[in-house]
Order: sequence, then structure tokens, then C-alpha cells
Amino acid sequence: MSDRAIAAKIIQALADYLKRDPASIKEAHHLRDDLGLDSMAVIELLYKIEETFNIQIPDQDLPALSTVGSVAAYVQQRLTPAKPVPARTPKKLAPSRAPKKPAPTSKKKKR
Amino acid sequence: MPSRVVITGLGVVSPIGIGVSEFWNAALAGRSGISAIRSFDPFPMDGYRSKVAGQIHNFSPEQYLPSHQADRIDRYAQFALVASKEALADADLLMAKEAPHRVGVIVGAGMGGMVMGEREITQLYQQHKPQRVHPNFIPVITLNSASGIVAMAYGAKGPNLTISTACSSSAHALGQALQCIRTGQADVVITVGADASITPLVFAGFCSLRALSSKYNDAPERASRPFDRGRDGFVMGEGAGALIVESLAHAKKRKAKIYAEIAGYAATSEAYHMVIPREDGEEVATTMRLALKAAGVTPAQVDYINAHATSTTIGDAVEAKAIRHLFKHRADKIAINATKSLVGHTLGAAGAIGAVASSLAIHTGRIHPTANYDNPDPVCRLDGISRSVQERKIRTALLNAFGFGSNNAAVVLKKFVA
Repeated sequence: MSDRAIAAKIIQALADYLKRDPASIKEAHHLRDDLGLDSMAVIELLYKIEETFNIQIPDQDLPALSTVGSVAAYVQQRLTPAKPVPARTPKKLAPSRAPKKPAPTSKKKKR
Repeated sequence: MPSRVVITGLGVVSPIGIGVSEFWNAALAGRSGISAIRSFDPFPMDGYRSKVAGQIHNFSPEQYLPSHQADRIDRYAQFALVASKEALADADLLMAKEAPHRVGVIVGAGMGGMVMGEREITQLYQQHKPQRVHPNFIPVITLNSASGIVAMAYGAKGPNLTISTACSSSAHALGQALQCIRTGQADVVITVGADASITPLVFAGFCSLRALSSKYNDAPERASRPFDRGRDGFVMGEGAGALIVESLAHAKKRKAKIYAEIAGYAATSEAYHMVIPREDGEEVATTMRLALKAAGVTPAQVDYINAHATSTTIGDAVEAKAIRHLFKHRADKIAINATKSLVGHTLGAAGAIGAVASSLAIHTGRIHPTANYDNPDPVCRLDGISRSVQERKIRTALLNAFGFGSNNAAVVLKKFVA
């Protein structure tokens, strides 16, 4: 799935959840500060994303998922078969668009 | 003398009407809200002994609630919100003018968020995917979800309680609202009863208990027939009732209209059996007697009883026996009706919906008919039960509610006299 397609699906899920026009949701939007999702709403959104993309998001990955773009990038990484991202990805993800390189392995042990 | 407490607003969501006016018109017409259950998709109804219920078919939450709110709460809590919204508007109570910590919420609920509850449990057991249990499952099935949601909707920061005593839940909620105001904890209590558990598992459970009517599956509107010789069990209903309960001083200060006064309340346990009442009716009679005593009125002053009357063989007989025992020769002079003949047994909502019907009876002097009272059963015959509207000046009324767990409640309502 392309980065764009993933981002579009996530934006659609957000739009459904927030009952607003998908066009008004940007990848740079912060889930809490810009879109008004509280922590419970973020959990519900991720639940929906887990279902949509058939992935499981471990608790320790949640802190990095703060913007629409970071969620899209994260999902993209998780869906890339050649470079499966292990459960722990504490390294900050790119704020918008999927990063082409995975987080350095050395940092993954940090926690 | 304890401070006086009054009812100043009413709201209802029921199988015979959403909103007090629709409900009351249907009630006075004696219209049954019982219908055939179409299906518990994907279950066929074949396996269910009873196939009728008082379902609310025309309720679309989006019509009453913002969609982000409606989506996140279970059906019973949606009912609670809609009924309380109507009651607040009816009472003309503006929260912006109230001290938030002086407004409480007390909700009676018997089963709670069973719609989502059953769905999630079923999926987990079928699919074995614990990670797919919905994040809202716990907040929704927690039994005080409705009381929390109602408080949040209006900014009511006073005491927030949920009472769960099965079918007597919201009669207790009303009684506890009275106590809450009398002890000075609040000036206003938004009092609600709500349940919506006509769901595959709960319905099957009541079928297995042999508690539900099964003789009238082909004539649903005849199935709920309290005190009638042909009754054969209760009919499940769903809905909510809401009452704005406030101190008389507070009501006077804001010049509120008053439907009725809540004068007293009794709560007892038969300490006898989980689902069967004591057949001699002594405990039910004691509960009514204690409520009247608490209200400072004598049995001779009672003009009307909104009976618990679920349409079960034993329950109605015991209640009738208790009424005769307590009121002796006056028992036949008291007007009696059964709201469940119209809406079925709404479990945790029953007390509140009965209280709405009682408040309207006191306020208007009109007592709604008991539907299907075609052939009075000699074992529970009381002359004050009627298939027609009874016109009566009501000074004092009793609201009865009895619940599984050997639980009894009675609330005394009075015509408000300044």
C-alpha cells in the first residue's frame, strides 16, 4: 500500500470518528492539539487503525503517535514486509509522510 | 419536620411514546406498546419461548443527541440522556443559573450497557481475539455509565449515584433523591431510571427463568395483562423515565411548576428468596406501611396506587393480597393501575416510568387504564383496577416497586398543597 493510500485511510478513519470533512484533516495535525482527540479518543482511533490494517500496536509505541503523519508513517513501517519494525519503536517518527529509513536499531533498546 | 421535596419536571422514553405528551396520550388511550420481536439478528426467534417485548422501534439517537455523544454510549444511557433532557426542559431548570455542586444525579439501572456488553463478549468467545475487545467496553458496561454521562451533559457536580436493585432500581433512585435533598446534600436531583436489555442473552435468561409471557406470541398487545386471569408472565420492555426532584424552597424560589410532592419512602428486604416474593404478602404490606408512616399519612388517605404489577402469576397475587391486608375494607376504594400493562416491564426504568405516570395522575386527576384487564383474577381482585381511565382527585398516591434479590421499595407521592 502506498504512503498516500495509508495516510488517506487514516484520515478517513479520523474523519469518520470526528464527523468532519476528510479534506480538513492534514498530516501535520496533532491528534490532541489540532484535532481535539483526548487520550481515550486516541485509543479508539488506534483500535480502528489496528482493525483497518490488521496490525497490533503495542502500548510502548503509543507515545510516538501524536500527529496524523506520525501515525501514517508508523503504519507504513509496520506494513513494509522487508523491514518489519519490531514491537518497540520509541524513536521519534517523522512528523509527516512516511520515513524512508527505519529508526536506528541501537535506539530500539532504549526504554 | 423534614424539608419538603417536590417533582418539577418529567421526561420519558417508552414503547408507547418518546416524550411525556406522546406517552401520556397513549397511556390514557390504554394503548399497548408490546410487539413481536422481529429477530435477534443473526438469531432466529425459534429458540425463544417468549417472542414479544416492549421495544422502542422509532428511537434514533441522532435525532436527540449529538452524534459523537450518541455513538459512545449504550442504548440505556441514550434513553437516560433523552429523558433527562426533556425533564430539565420541562422543569425549566437552567443549569447556568444553578450552583453545580448543589445538583445531583441518581440513576436506577438494573442491567446497564448490555447491548455492547453482549456483542463484545460474544465476539471474544467466538474469535479468541482479546486485542479486539473495544476500548469503550469497560466505560460502557460499568453500571454507573448513565449517571456519569447525565452529569457530564449538564454539568451537575453534586452527588452522583447509581442504584441497582433490579426492578426496583429507580423507585429507590427516587427515594434516595428525597433523602439526598432532605439531608442537605443537594437542592436538585436529576432522577432517572433506564434500561435497554432486550438483547439475545438477557432475553434468553429471562425465558429460561420462565418469567416471561409465552402464551400471547401471536397477539403481542395482549401479552402484558397484570391482575388478569389470563396472565402468564411479564413482558420485557425498555425505556427511561426522568424526574427533576428538588427542595420546595428551591422550587419556590425559581417559581417552578409542581407536579407532586414526594412525601416518604421505604426500602426493605424480604431476606427470603432471590426471585420469589413471600406469598403471604406481609413484607410488601410492611413496605407500604413504612412508606406511609415516613410520609406522615395514614392508609385511609391513600387514593391511588401505581402497582408494581408485572403480570406474573405470583407477583400480582402477592401485591393484591398485600394491598388488601394493609388497606382492609378500603382496598376496593383505591384506584389502582399497572403501567407495565402498556409498556411491559422496563426493569430498572420501571419505577421512574411509574413515577412519571403517578405524577401525571396526581397533576391531572386522570389515572391511565390497565390494559388487558379483561377477566379479573379472583386471587387478585381489587375493584379499583380498571380498563378505563379513572378520574379521581388524588391526595396521596403510592408507587410500588419490587426487585429480584428480595428487594422492596415504596414511594409516597402527594398532591402539592402550598
